[in-house]
Amino acid sequence: MVMQLQNVTFSYRNAKEKTIQHMSMEMEKGEILTILGQSGSGKSTVLRLIAGLEVPEEGMMTINGSTMFDQETFVQPEKRGVGMVFQDYALFPHMTVAGNIKFGLKKMKRTERNDRLASVIELVGLKGFEKRYPHELSGGQQQRVALARAMAPNPSIILFDEPFSNLDADLQIKIRDELRTILKKAGITAIFVTHDQADARAIADRVILMEKGHIVKIGTPDLILC
Amino acid sequence: MNVFRFFRLHANSWSIMSIIFMLLILSPTLSIFVQIFEKPNENWTHIQEFLLKNYIQNTITIVFFTGLFSILVGVSLAWFVTAYTFPLRRFFKWGLILPLAIPPYIGAYTYHGIVNYTGVLQSTLRNEFNITANPAYFDIMNIPGAIFIFTIFLYPYVYIITRAYLEQQSASLIENARLLGSGPLELFFHVIMPISRTAIIGGASLVILEVLNDYGVVSYFGIQVFTTAIFQAWFGMSDVASAIKLAGMLMAIVFLILFLEKVLRGRKQYSYSNAKVRPLEPISLSREKTILLFVYVLFIFTIGFLIPFVQLFQWMMLTYEKVISPDFLQLIFNSVYVSLISSFLIMIIALVIGNFTRLADSPWSKAVSRITVLGYSIPGAVIAIGVLTFFLWLDRHLNMVYTALGIDAPIILSLSLVMLIFAYVSRFLAIGFNPVDAGFDKIGRSFTEASRLLGTSLMRTFFKVDLPMIRGAVFGGFTLVFIEVMKELPLTLLLQPFNFYTLSTKAFQYANDEAVHEAALASMLIILISGLSIFVFHAVLEKEKK
Repeated sequence: MVMQLQNVTFSYRNAKEKTIQHMSMEMEKGEILTILGQSGSGKSTVLRLIAGLEVPEEGMMTINGSTMFDQETFVQPEKRGVGMVFQDYALFPHMTVAGNIKFGLKKMKRTERNDRLASVIELVGLKGFEKRYPHELSGGQQQRVALARAMAPNPSIILFDEPFSNLDADLQIKIRDELRTILKKAGITAIFVTHDQADARAIADRVILMEKGHIVKIGTPDLILC
Repeated sequence: MNVFRFFRLHANSWSIMSIIFMLLILSPTLSIFVQIFEKPNENWTHIQEFLLKNYIQNTITIVFFTGLFSILVGVSLAWFVTAYTFPLRRFFKWGLILPLAIPPYIGAYTYHGIVNYTGVLQSTLRNEFNITANPAYFDIMNIPGAIFIFTIFLYPYVYIITRAYLEQQSASLIENARLLGSGPLELFFHVIMPISRTAIIGGASLVILEVLNDYGVVSYFGIQVFTTAIFQAWFGMSDVASAIKLAGMLMAIVFLILFLEKVLRGRKQYSYSNAKVRPLEPISLSREKTILLFVYVLFIFTIGFLIPFVQLFQWMMLTYEKVISPDFLQLIFNSVYVSLISSFLIMIIALVIGNFTRLADSPWSKAVSRITVLGYSIPGAVIAIGVLTFFLWLDRHLNMVYTALGIDAPIILSLSLVMLIFAYVSRFLAIGFNPVDAGFDKIGRSFTEASRLLGTSLMRTFFKVDLPMIRGAVFGGFTLVFIEVMKELPLTLLLQPFNFYTLSTKAFQYANDEAVHEAALASMLIILISGLSIFVFHAVLEKEKK
């Protein structure tokens, strides 16, 4: 088991209703999970809780067996070993593609770092783009840089927040399939958040359907999306 | 939630530093509040009985009429520049802001120098036209004169904000009104004024706060208001207690103004909407009307900038050889020195508090940012009194430390530059904080979050990601603070250490010693630097828009 959530409850300040209510789930290594839900269902909040960007009211979470939060502990996001691809990619505009990807690799030695850069760049198919700045890339290329950046430090899980919403429809389908191939090849555990059933069907091993902060259904795409 | 966990989550170096900075900044204001209700002394009874009514009356008269005239001038100019074509319109669009580069106190002694008995106006009349007019006609050292000075040098606040508003928000409204057959006057009073109400009030309240802050103009003209009274209580009577009471009352007036602004504005904030709004296309008027309009715009520009600038330039050419000396270079050095240190400190504090309020994003961190910007509304003289009493208190309590260190002096901090710089920081923090805050607002939080998820601590993220991304805003803020400190007068006059002068205090001293011509060089330097500030401000603003 890579990750486990138990009985997690969360609400935003000033919000009357709980955004997440007593949620529990777990994930196996190498699994690709999709959280499907309408806007306001709390699906993105789940990602933010796993990443450590929000502080839950109740519940606990472990990653690879160590506790990330419970009533006593709270591990800061930089110590969790969780990667994330943001909806707007959040590529640092003042750094090149190489700079962005190497950003999370400070602990490695110089040669090690360059090797890692070369291998993730290869994996996402952006060889030759190392010296470009984010604004010099297309939307699809930017997304692949964001993926490479998130993958580079070898996180236990990578989270994707609506990763296809900023792409054109035909590009979306192409990248979706590509992404699944890359993730499977690298054996990465991943959670996708989306509101699009087609996305979920194409990419997921397992789907969680959320409504109003609750899990409504869990199962394989075929089972859930009939 | 577990209390320990709460502290471990929120007690990072950013929040701790922010709270320390905020307490330091608040301490002068608090020290006024603490002492305001102390038992009055004899001086105060005298002030209350014979002078206070006069202070209040004069202050209200000047504030009211300056506010009114600034609105009339500022809004009409904003409207003309936006709505009609006339010669040199593009130049005037920027040129009409230039009077702001001339601090009112410099404007005051320049105009007095122009219209007094030996000034260019009366001597020309005497020598060229053989007219000896009644000198009383030319006396501007009175309340109407002060209102004139404040209006022509401060109206740009109203002009800038209203123009920005009209340019961005109004095209369809105005065109509709025109189509419905509104004449120009009707359009101005029934459409333009009401729809730009929030912008006008915002600009006017800036003008009023500047007027309440002023010491230079009123003291040069010999008008009794709160700031001059504070100076008298302090320097004239060495009566800090009365100075504190006066400062407290002035602060109460400021809070009243801020409150009124909020009420009058209603729930609307004048928003610079980001949506692409179609700009209003200026229309051309008949020949006669265009000429009339051009003359009006030219007239305001001439009295607000051209005349004082040319006069100062002429005086400068007369006196610069005499004025430039090692002492004068020392003045420039002093000004630059205190301005640099203050700007530097302010930007550091602004970044710390800005980053904290952004990351914490809670009601009480918002309160911190509100308090941070409050200092700019409080008049310099009030801050000076607060800082002084605070530092005297510090010195009293540090006395033992001084003795232990073998220093044989009862007061050290209160005589040093530290006090002056501390006061600058609390007064001008808002000017550095606002661009930083806007910069953080613009980049949002996802870059910071992305960086942290890549294993980077908050502190490292700040230096590697946040700071490089808002460096333009930081640079802009730094420049604006630098220039504000350069221009500052009342606070510097009250707190400058013995034998320490800056360009502005020296210029003011020259003028007060009837050596207006000698003040010209220092004044010119201040005006040029302020002009730069306007340029930087708009460069930053234009960049932010993109």
